[in-house]
Amino acid sequence: MHHELIRLGAGAHAFAIQILGNRDDAADAVQDAMVKALTAPDAYDARQGPLKPWFYRVVRNRCLDLLRGRRSNTETVDTLPAAGPDPESALVTEQRDSEIKHALETLPPAQRQILVLRDYLDLSYAEIGVVLDIPAGTVMSRLHRARNAMREALNNHVE
Amino acid sequence: MSNDDTKPGEDIGDLLSGYIDDELTQQQRQRVELHCQDCERTRKDLEELRALRRRIGQSRLGELDAGAWGERMNDTGVRVTAAIGWVLFIGGLLLAAGAFVVSLLFDDQIGVFGKFVIVGIYGGLAGLLISVLRQRLIERKSDRYKNVRI
Repeated sequence: MHHELIRLGAGAHAFAIQILGNRDDAADAVQDAMVKALTAPDAYDARQGPLKPWFYRVVRNRCLDLLRGRRSNTETVDTLPAAGPDPESALVTEQRDSEIKHALETLPPAQRQILVLRDYLDLSYAEIGVVLDIPAGTVMSRLHRARNAMREALNNHVE
Repeated sequence: MSNDDTKPGEDIGDLLSGYIDDELTQQQRQRVELHCQDCERTRKDLEELRALRRRIGQSRLGELDAGAWGERMNDTGVRVTAAIGWVLFIGGLLLAAGAFVVSLLFDDQIGVFGKFVIVGIYGGLAGLLISVLRQRLIERKSDRYKNVRI
């Protein structure tokens, strides 16, 4: 489980940022979830499904706990660092990431989460249902609404 | 064939996301494909949704790679070990204190006054230790600058 958690850490961090809006709090939430996964390994039952959606659900619950405790925290997401050694391509990448990040920030948290789970983390609809604790049948319509909102947000950003 | 009168959101809308995600039944896929044959707007919608998905998928929303999480996991291991260590230490301490109190109560060689004195000294030390620990915990929780890295 140790190596799997390391592999899932980066994605879980990106997901937690969408809920908390702050990279440091998000990192803390993921680390707390890791501690929970390691100290209570019985909580995860492999027969119920893969580790990934279970772990993202633990991360989400931890984020919601933190949100309840830190309602006053309105710090924004920090600027992402440059991606590669080539300054020109790094600038293009940074601009692209910045557009996506800013468009995501304009969406409601529920839409941000479902978009990141599907399009960034590549979870199936059934897995998204597990993470968000919603019926798998409603994932498609919610996701479609979120994608339409995201398209609109990106178009508004360009204009 | 252009057909701008068709409204993809009316019936087919939600299915478009399911189509690009390969989450539809065979029957639903055929419905979308049939619709697309006659509706340029829906085809354009599909392309835009695919482009959006690619764009989000290629972006970097997190900034800690596997190496950074490996380091954090080591830190996590330390935290887990420390938590287990504290539980064992406090448990052992409580057992020892309990055994000490029981042996003191049943020790015939020490008088009642002596027992009071011994309990007072050790009890006082324990109270002082707990109050210092409590104060440190309160300070740690309320320290605004604990996450500041120099």
